[in-house]
Amino acid sequence: MQTDTPAVSTRGLTLSYGDFTALQPLDLDIGRGEIFGFLGHNGAGKTTTIRLLTTLMEPSGGTASVAGCDLAHNRIALRRAIGYLPENVRLYDTLTTRENLRFFAALSRIEDARDRVEEVMEFLGITDLADRRIATFSKGMRQRVGLAQAIVHRPQVLFLDEPTSGLDPMGVRQLREVLERLNGQGMTIFMNTHLLSEVARSCSSIGVLSHGQLVFHDTIETVNARYGSEEALEELYLSVVPDREVAA
Amino acid sequence: MPDLSAIPTIALKDARIALRDRFLLAATLALVAAALISLITGTVAMRTDVATYMAAKQQLLALGKSLGSIAAPEFYPLKLMRGTIEQIEIMGAVIALIAGYRAAVEERGRQTLALILTRPLSNWQFLAAKLLGGAGLMATALAFVFALCAVVLALGSGIGIGANDLLRLAITWGASTLYLSAIFAVGFGLSLWLKSPASGLLYAFALWLLVVLVAPQIGDTMDPDNQVAGGVFAQLSIPKAEQTRIKQGFATYETIRNGIEVSSVTKHYERFTFAVLGIKDIYTGKALGPIWADKKGDAWFLILFTLGLGGLVLLRPIRADRLTKET
Repeated sequence: MQTDTPAVSTRGLTLSYGDFTALQPLDLDIGRGEIFGFLGHNGAGKTTTIRLLTTLMEPSGGTASVAGCDLAHNRIALRRAIGYLPENVRLYDTLTTRENLRFFAALSRIEDARDRVEEVMEFLGITDLADRRIATFSKGMRQRVGLAQAIVHRPQVLFLDEPTSGLDPMGVRQLREVLERLNGQGMTIFMNTHLLSEVARSCSSIGVLSHGQLVFHDTIETVNARYGSEEALEELYLSVVPDREVAA
Repeated sequence: MPDLSAIPTIALKDARIALRDRFLLAATLALVAAALISLITGTVAMRTDVATYMAAKQQLLALGKSLGSIAAPEFYPLKLMRGTIEQIEIMGAVIALIAGYRAAVEERGRQTLALILTRPLSNWQFLAAKLLGGAGLMATALAFVFALCAVVLALGSGIGIGANDLLRLAITWGASTLYLSAIFAVGFGLSLWLKSPASGLLYAFALWLLVVLVAPQIGDTMDPDNQVAGGVFAQLSIPKAEQTRIKQGFATYETIRNGIEVSSVTKHYERFTFAVLGIKDIYTGKALGPIWADKKGDAWFLILFTLGLGGLVLLRPIRADRLTKET
């Protein structure tokens, strides 16, 4: 595995269903250690892109690599290098937090699974939830356990699909702090989101997807420089996404 | 050599969840209760027969007469397992279908399917683990049922059971595990493949109705020997040679009737287990060797049917649109 390669790199990555193209040929490079915010209207293709990059879907064309692992030829190694938190993850209701995390740690084949689970719970401040079954948890608590399973195996690239969906402001703030700490440890974060304010605060680069096509990709500094710091992202978003989609 | 450790990891997780599943627990207890009610009723009757024989024997001996003046009856406690087998055929199959549905829906609806499939394992390992977990669940629940049946037969029938009886129960347990594992695979596969898991369960029930109830029932109804209690030929005291001659005249009809019956895995399971347990009169008291020679076709059908269904589930790829955000 090469460390000088981008964390995520795609060339002409495409997904089509018959006549419908869910993702237009996508060329994207995300550097290691970045927090990348992926913006777009509902149905723009953000979740599809994450599913392609996490090996859950097969692309119709193009190539991609994550953490230096080729999507087409090195899927198992790629899966070892990624963590994934889908939107509205619910986990196993009848298992406790610790049992859920030990299960996913074992599936990831890490050697110090038990110790690592305790470490991750400590890191996310959920040790007090360790022996409670998930069934009794609020959305925010589930999200934290969901994030714990995504990082338990120390992935190089973390994919988050709408991680702030349904969280209260405190939950959003806690999540932001956790992501910043993870990023501080060198983890690359690829985040689909609707929250422009979160992208402005957390991300180092952004991409905007519209109708399956990448219509913007640059660093947050460039965005701020071009549009000014105040509400820069909103200006940008409105300029690249048609009104009809923004209203939707 | 690929790392297969994910298979026991997922299967054990499923076992842990199943043990905490109140529905499965209640359903298994209901199956146990249904099986035991029919068994206990039979053992009470057999115990009475044994007691009657023993009393007659004592009376003869007290009168100073030879035991040879009354025929020594033969008691076959395993024949009392008929109700249990029939409960497994129908009620056990329903439980297996629902367990298969739950095994699929718990992964789809909770997004855990996506979490598992982004771990370093092949998709077939996930499917194999789910099937093995289901088979393990069926084996455990049935072991509980058969162990209780063995205790009831040993203590309740009045004559106990021997090592050969236990071996026959073990063989029947194995066949029952295969049968219910196949049904589990149907429930799991359809609930995983179809767009909505609920539709999968609906289709699975339609198949259950056809395979478990309709086909064997049509076969039974078309059998003239089943129309009169004890059998038509027996009631009319028709000699064996004459029976054969009459049956030859209905050869085509019998082929069709038998064909409908043997299209159902349930019938093969029933034929095999009824023979092993001696429930079918012509196999009562027979050694296992001749029974195997006669019924190995049914056993192989059961084995190949289960393996074939399992293979089908393993081979079919998991479609990405089954990873819906909400189901």
